[in-house]
Order: sequence, then C-alpha cells, then structure tokens
Amino acid sequence: MQRSKSAVSVEVKQVIGSLCKLLAATGLEAVPTPETIRRAKFGGGVEVESLFRQLLANILKKTGIVSSEACVQFKGDDRKLVAAGLWQTGYHAHWIYAREEREGEGMEGRSFSSKDLLLALGWLLATGTLENLLTQRVQQLDKTLLTSIPANTEVSDELQLDSASLRKLQWLIGNLRHQGRILLSMLEERTQLIHAVCSASVSSTTPSFSDQSSTVLKDDCIRMRQLCDLLEAYVNWKKVEKSFWTWMDSVVECHLSEPVGKRSTHVPNVSPRVCPNGNPELQKLEDMLLKLPTAQKGQRGCVWDTKDIGKERTHSGLDPSSLPLLFSVPSLPSLSQTYRARLQAEMPVRHSSYHIEGLDERAKAADELQASQAAQMLLQTEAQLLERRDRQRMANKVLLQEMIGRLDELVLIPP
Amino acid sequence: MSVVTVQLGQCGNQVGQELFDVICSDAEEGQKKTYSAGSFERFFHQNAHGDLVARAVLIDMEPKVINQSMTKAAKSGKWRYGEASHFSQSQGSGNNWANGYCVHGPRNRDVVEELVRREVECCDRLAGLMAMMSVAGGTGSGVGTYITQCLRDLHPKSFILNHLTWPYRTGEVIVQNYNSVLTLAHLYQLSDAILVHENDTVHKICSQLLNIKQISFSDVNKVIAHQLGSVLQPAFTADSHGVYSRNPLGELVSALACHPEYKLLSVCTIPQMPSSSIAYSTFSWPGLLKHMRQMLISNSKMEEGKFCSERTRSLTGFGFNRSLANLLILRGKDVYCAETGGFEDPDLYTSWLSSEESFTLWKSPVLFNKYEKSVTLVSNSQALLRPLDNMVRSAWNMFASRAYVHQYTKFGISEEDFLDSFTSLEQVISSYNQLC
Repeated sequence: MQRSKSAVSVEVKQVIGSLCKLLAATGLEAVPTPETIRRAKFGGGVEVESLFRQLLANILKKTGIVSSEACVQFKGDDRKLVAAGLWQTGYHAHWIYAREEREGEGMEGRSFSSKDLLLALGWLLATGTLENLLTQRVQQLDKTLLTSIPANTEVSDELQLDSASLRKLQWLIGNLRHQGRILLSMLEERTQLIHAVCSASVSSTTPSFSDQSSTVLKDDCIRMRQLCDLLEAYVNWKKVEKSFWTWMDSVVECHLSEPVGKRSTHVPNVSPRVCPNGNPELQKLEDMLLKLPTAQKGQRGCVWDTKDIGKERTHSGLDPSSLPLLFSVPSLPSLSQTYRARLQAEMPVRHSSYHIEGLDERAKAADELQASQAAQMLLQTEAQLLERRDRQRMANKVLLQEMIGRLDELVLIPP
Repeated sequence: MSVVTVQLGQCGNQVGQELFDVICSDAEEGQKKTYSAGSFERFFHQNAHGDLVARAVLIDMEPKVINQSMTKAAKSGKWRYGEASHFSQSQGSGNNWANGYCVHGPRNRDVVEELVRREVECCDRLAGLMAMMSVAGGTGSGVGTYITQCLRDLHPKSFILNHLTWPYRTGEVIVQNYNSVLTLAHLYQLSDAILVHENDTVHKICSQLLNIKQISFSDVNKVIAHQLGSVLQPAFTADSHGVYSRNPLGELVSALACHPEYKLLSVCTIPQMPSSSIAYSTFSWPGLLKHMRQMLISNSKMEEGKFCSERTRSLTGFGFNRSLANLLILRGKDVYCAETGGFEDPDLYTSWLSSEESFTLWKSPVLFNKYEKSVTLVSNSQALLRPLDNMVRSAWNMFASRAYVHQYTKFGISEEDFLDSFTSLEQVISSYNQLC
C-alpha cells in the first residue's frame, strides 16, 4: 500500500487486462472485459453481475471444486452453484446464507452485488485457484509432461527414528534432489529444442514443407503455441500481480467504508437477519468464524510443542480430520498460513459492522484476544529460543576457552 | 551436455591444462565416433576456424601460469583455450586465504562471473560446473572458495564439483593448514561433491609406479589428469541403455554424494605405469578388480603389490576402510566380461545403506589413454579421514597459539570464522568416523 493511489489507477486497467488474458488462456469461457471487472468495484449492474456469476461458476466447475454431479443438481442455477462452491473453498460471506433464507420466504431478486462477487473472485485467486487452472491447462496442452504418480505420503506409526534410518532418509532425500536437478536440466534442454523447432517451422514458409507436415505435427505446433501463450500470460500476470492486490485492497476498503444502508439495497431483507436469535444459521456461522482461529492456533501449538515431530505430524499437523470445524471444507487449497489468517481475521470484523451491539463486541473481543494471544505466544517462543541460543553460545565459549587454556602451555615451533 | 571448468590459481590452471590434454588426445584416439563426439561435446566447443576450444575459464592473480597454460594448449595443435576466457592481474594473494576470499575475490567478481556466464551460454545444455584448485595457496583456495560461492548463487540448480589438490604433508606453505581448513569448511556448504587428490599419494605414484627420478609438478599433474579424465570421459551407466551417459557430474554426485555430511571423494586408478612399459604388459579383469578391491579395503591409493591376505585382516578390524558409496569405472577391452560382484559385498559398506544404493558401475569398451584395461574407483569412504584429521589438528595447534592469525584478521577473517570452520570440519571428521 505504499504506492500512491493515482499511480495504481493508471495501471489498474492494464493489470486487470493481463489477468483477463491469463484467465482466457487457461481455457475459461466468457471472461469479462477488463472494464467490466474494474466497474464491478463501483457496483456495476445486473449484466455485470451475471457475467461475474458465470465466470465464478466456470472457475468453480473447471477446478473441480463443484463436482459435475452437483452441477446437474443445481440445474443451471448459477447462483446456488456459486454460493455452494465458494462455501467449499472456505469463503463464508453473509450473502451466501442470505439466499437460502430468502428462498424460504419465496422472495426473488438480486442476492448479491457485483462487488461481493469481485471480492469472491479475489478470494479464489488468493487461494491458488489460478495456479490450479494453469496446471490443469498445461497438463492438457503438454502431452510430454510426466504426470505425477499419486504417492502414499502417510508415515506409518511404527517408523523408527534411530540415527541409521535418519541418515538413510537424508541420503534418499539427497538422491531425489539430485535426480530432480537432472530432470530439470533435461526439461531445460527440451524447451530449448522445442524453441529451435518452433522458430525453424515459423521461418520456413515454403509450401512444400507445410504440405508434408502431418496434421499431428500441426496440432502439436498449435498446442505448443497455446502453451507458450499461456505461460507468457502467466509471467505477465506475475509481474503485475502486486498492483492487482493493491487495487483489490482498495476494493475491500471501499466495501467496508460503504454505509450499511446503501449496502442493504444490494442485499435486501437484511434487517430480520441482524438479530442473532432470529437467525440460527447466521449465529452458527458467526460461532464458527470465531472458533476458527482457536482451532488453528491449537493445531500450530501442537506441532511446536511436541518433541517427536515425526509422530505427532501424523496425528495432528496435517490431518484435516483433527479439525472438526474444517471438515466441511474438504478441498481447502494450500496457501500460506499468514494470508489465510489475515483474511479470516478480517471476516468477523466485517460482519460485526452490521450486527447488533452484543455480537459486535463479542466478535471484536474474540478477535483481539486471538491476535494478542498469538503475539504473546510468538514473543514467548522468541525469548525462549534466544535464551537457549545464548546459553548454547556461552557453553561453547567456555569449552573452547578451556581447550585453548590447555593448549596455551604448549610451545609451538613452526615447521 | 557440457561441463564448464573453472581453473583457479597456479595448481588449478596447471592441472586443468593437463586434464584437457588427456581428454583431447584420448578422445581423438578413440576408435568410436560416438565416444569422441560425446567427449568433445562435454569439454570443448568449436570456434569459427574449426579449432577445439576448451570450455574453461582461467583465473589467477598472476599472469605467468595462465600464459604458460595457454601457450602449452595452443602448441599441442589439437585444442586451445578461448582467447578471452581468462582473467589475471599483476598482484598475487600471497598464500593468504583471507586475502583471496575477502579482497581479490569480491574485487574481481563481476569480471569472473561474466567470463563464466559467456562460457555457460556456449553450452547447449549445462551439465554442471567444475572448479579446480589447490587448498594450500591463497588464490586457488581463497579466490576459489569465493568464486564457488558466486557460482552457487548464479547456478543454484546446477551441479558443482570441486576438484581439490591437497598439499604435501611436509609442507609447501607455512599456513597451508589454515588455508585448507578454511577452504574445506566453506566448500562443504557450497559444493555438491569434493573430489580430492593428495600430492603425497600422487608423488608416490610418480616415484614408485612410473619410475620418475626427478619428479616435477608437471609429472604430478599428469597423473592427476589421467585419473580425473578416466572419471569424466563418457561411459555407459546402468540405466543409460547403451547410450553414453550425458550428465557426468549429475550421475557422479547422485551415485556418491547424496548425504550433506559426506561429500569427500577419493580417486584411484590402476594400472599406472611408464608409457614405455604399457605395450609389454597384459592385464586381466579379475586380477585388476581383485587388486582394486584390496586397495579399497586397506585404503591404499596406489597399487603396491603387497597386501595382507583377507583372512588375516578381518573386515571389521582396525585399519579397515569403510565405504559409504563407491563408483567403479571400467574402461577397455572385454569390459562386459568383468565380474564386479566383489564390490557389492555389504560388509564393505555402512549398514544404513543397501549395496544397491552404495555401489555404482560405469563401463566403456573404449580404451582409455592407451591402457588396454583400466579400472578407476571413486570412493566416498573413510579414505580421506586420516589426512583430513591431520590437517585439522595441525591447523588447530597453530591456532591455539594464535600463530599467523593476525595475517587473516587484517583482511576481515575473524577468530570466530576460524572457530566456525574448525567446528564444521570436526563434524565432518566425526561423521566419517562413525561410518560403520
């Protein structure tokens, strides 16, 4: 956020443009124009909304977050599909719940604004959906790519951690790393050769040559070109990604600063849901969000405290079943903990802004407590580690001084 | 797949020149086209005039040795060094590791990196980088360590092999043990594997096997080059399916040095004899292999002809040289008849690796450097433990009385740096000691 806003606004269109190009290159249909996406920040309209909904539905379908059977169930109802898909990815916004309720009341109408959908798109991008799409597309295009064999990564409980097996493990890891490097250099060479072939085929425009080339070669060539375009689009996107997130921050700010009354026009029938007692679903969600950081903290603390990391990891660290609150989100994408923590921390605050006081305070208190606890815990650990380091240093120093003291009496004659 | 060699200091430049000489003449004499082509692709490229140009960068702080090496190469008429692929200045490092590492290295970093980059760009595919240097002096060891560090930064995913020449124990330079300790400790973090030749061993080979009366550095370097060449020339590996392996450094490192605590590799080659005697000698594979196995077990890096029989020497007893991993390279006639089962004996190896992981075999039916049959063993074993221990102990004794330390501190190497280096080498020694 150091960059000045004016500089960002100049770039925004280009940045969004490169995102659109990348999305289109990953094979998504009906990607909105950059201008549409930019306008979504300020509300847009019905047509913008439907475009966005379609895009989100396409992404969710393509990445397999919503299974094809589920798609049939929704019978083309994009709204339901998007809401369900976002819930699956761990995005719990109020409008996702608003739908069910209103349908129960038999109300039709706009359930969510295009800004909500834009934020949801941001969430999907931040959770690595883009990379998933990219990987899928690359695997589609690059027929020579080795598909990874699903390996059983579970560590058995009987694993012995004596020094011999540890050394063997280190050796095997080293060996794998070397093999990886050999494969990587082979990949580099192949890329070079492909480039040589591609540039040769581009430069040779003689009809006799192109006549001889079979359809398979042509197809290959087209695929390769698509692959190159895709990777180029990704590289371009990566270059400007930072600016995009700066802009996305501004969208979030804009969303938060909006007066509640104005927002309620986008989300009609808000008032009955504000009362927590009157809406058990919302209450449940709120509880869930408040508990979420606790669960994560417990999980992390567990990994830190334990001495026997290898064993413990199988029990707590990576096993989603140990998190009763997360089990409903089976395909939670892997992303950096810090980012996830930040977004989740924001959620209760955002929600609390349009709920009654009691809940508001409760949410805030819980949130603050979590953050301060976490900070304290980190500080404590740091202090412990520093102390341990200093002790170790001291011990080493004394040992060395003793040794040197013993040797000081020796007279050394250089050879 | 090509290897870019970086020759550093007097020793590195002399050994490098001999190595390219051996490789070039061996590849030219090779009866098989694919062998020659593979070897040339690995170590040479052709310039506009069609001359073979070594894929090498020559670096020294004094111009004398570089000029000599370049002249020698050009005189051979078979190959040459690139016109612009060398760097030297007028002032040496004065046998001071700190001077090389802290002053000369950083000062000339950009020039050297540019030279290496240009050489790497000439390769269709880079198999790895090989830095050649001694550990005793100032330029090879100090600048060499610094440059290896730069190479690691520039090519984080490439294989980097360091070839080191260890000094005579009796001493070439008064601070050679300081320089050696600092070099080894630093390279252990940077390099993928460290291939070592000891001057003492090579000297003994020259005097006892090659019957050279007045042994010069050139003789010593020729022996080193012969052994190195035999490791680096093309060969068939177990899974290369009749095609010469294209990634010599990668294959070497992944066969021998996968564990970060064990990176020291020793080399020995048999037979070695005066070139006049080669024509009148015959060898059999069983004889050579038995001999090599005994050399491995008893840790003698030179064939001496007198070995205790295996019965008197228990495999677990004192003086037994335990291996972590071995790479056996056979070159010559009837290579496919050679029976190498003796090297797969699990008793030779540490208990925590199976012999399939510990033993690797390369073969090539092409005669190497005029020898009808030749066996080379690259071993990651306790073989270098004793010389390393001596080196560290001598350096520590000097350090305890702070002898010459001010020469290092004035260039920015603190006593703490020394202590760090001692610690990390003690760790290496202890790791090799515990190999059982």
